[in-house]
Amino acid sequence: MNRSLSLRDAALADMAGIRARHPTVFLPLPASRLGALLLCAAALGLLVFGLWRLDFSPARLVDGFAQLFHFLGLMIPPDPGTWSRTVLILKGLAETLAIALLGTLGAAILAFPLGFLAARNTSINRAVQFLSRRMLDGVRGIDALIWALIWVSVVGLGPFAGVLAILTSDIGTFGKLFSEAIEAADRKPVEGVTASGGGKLHGIRFGVLPAVLPVMAGHVLYMFESNTRSSTIIGIVGAGGIGLMLSEMIRTLEWNVVSFIVLLILVTVAVIDAMSGRLRAALAGARPA
Amino acid sequence: MLIIEGLTRRYGDRIAVDDVCLEVPRGSFVGVIGRSGAGKSTLLRMVNRLADPSAGRILWEGRDVTALQGRALRDWRARCAMVFQQFNLSGRLDVLTNVLVGRLNAVPAHRSLLRLWSAEDRAIALSALERFDIGELAAQRAEHLSGGQQQRVAIARALVQEPDIILADEPIASLDPRNTRVVMDALARINREFGITVLCNLHALDIARAYCDRLVGLSAGRLVFDGPPEALDAAAARELYGLEADEAVDHAPALPGPTPQVAPFALHA
Repeated sequence: MNRSLSLRDAALADMAGIRARHPTVFLPLPASRLGALLLCAAALGLLVFGLWRLDFSPARLVDGFAQLFHFLGLMIPPDPGTWSRTVLILKGLAETLAIALLGTLGAAILAFPLGFLAARNTSINRAVQFLSRRMLDGVRGIDALIWALIWVSVVGLGPFAGVLAILTSDIGTFGKLFSEAIEAADRKPVEGVTASGGGKLHGIRFGVLPAVLPVMAGHVLYMFESNTRSSTIIGIVGAGGIGLMLSEMIRTLEWNVVSFIVLLILVTVAVIDAMSGRLRAALAGARPA
Repeated sequence: MLIIEGLTRRYGDRIAVDDVCLEVPRGSFVGVIGRSGAGKSTLLRMVNRLADPSAGRILWEGRDVTALQGRALRDWRARCAMVFQQFNLSGRLDVLTNVLVGRLNAVPAHRSLLRLWSAEDRAIALSALERFDIGELAAQRAEHLSGGQQQRVAIARALVQEPDIILADEPIASLDPRNTRVVMDALARINREFGITVLCNLHALDIARAYCDRLVGLSAGRLVFDGPPEALDAAAARELYGLEADEAVDHAPALPGPTPQVAPFALHA
């Protein structure tokens, strides 16, 4: 090779040779790219078709926006009205938080063993794994709002039905998330435990659990945060919490109170979000021995 | 010519690189040696500006590169290519695209982001791969390659930047002996054929002796040795490596029998 020849010159001088040795690299549109482009085009087509089929109309959206601004005007300033109503609102908010916390914790505790049963690498056998997985899918397929309606008709109105609603719908979510975290765990620590004469439970306790516990705790914190929002909604169907008050105020067109409640919920969710973010970072970082 | 003047980097109270001065003429192959944690990596990363100096200057052809920002900084980084210990390839991308990443600075963003590489750039990348006997791997995913192959892809990526300097940060520390030779030979060839300056961090002294025409020794961030490999005798090596001397020298026959020096250090009580 010539010392004075730069890489670029050498490449260009041998262009014909390089093209001959690597013909696929110089195709104008390789098959993989063509496939990706077709897929994108198909997805776009589906989107356009769906919008057309569901009567998507920009004009109605614009009109609706005008209405939205009208409501926003009515919401200013946020004002709970009377003092007694403020206390009622705060009580409702506390109840919502309690529903979210109890429902999330209960679901996490119940989903913990289910997660191990539904994970390929820690389950007892294929049948158990299949059944627990299908069961979790089934539970998850029904939204918390539907569960709330069901539980209200079973145990009556109030926060107890709310807790049960969050709990049932979250067992499915947690079971799925937990089992996926377990399946994604590194196999090497388990191999180390097995090679030392440990049984299957030892492998789970000393190989899998230390790795997945912080991940699970992160899921629980995130779901608590998300449930604070969804337990507002289930309150609307009578399962306790601030939702009932909120829907009442919307029905009676007391927009100042509505905006006060919405702001309160926003602040609460933001505070929980900030706290759980820190907790999750701490859990992921400092691992106890 | 690369000139480093009083370069210092502090991390809190700890000084990683302490007042290092160095002049590297074009086309030289310089080995930076010293024990782990001596500041070799930080020194190299500061030249590429992956780390910013706390004090001191880096000059290339008389131009201060320590204060560069934005476009000018990216242009400088393209001129001093970096090769990492862990290769730092994008594992799920094919080998050719990984090499073409080295052309990013020379291609308009709208073309590179859509991966619309010109035939010329593809040819340059393939030519670089063929140079290291891995042209036939161009279409494979980078993560499916062996360590030695991945490091050669990384060197090809560095080479297509058409750089003036290549900074190699422990390029062989994750490789077996056979691949060590292949990778070091690749760096030596780049240095010889294209006259590219190579600054290479090395832990193993025998490799440094075999490939470099000049050695620079760092100890606790300070420059304690600078000279040709022949000048680094057993005593100097021991000063540089302390307890690790025997491990770093790797039973080099030039050294007298092993005489572990435990005196200045206390082992774990």
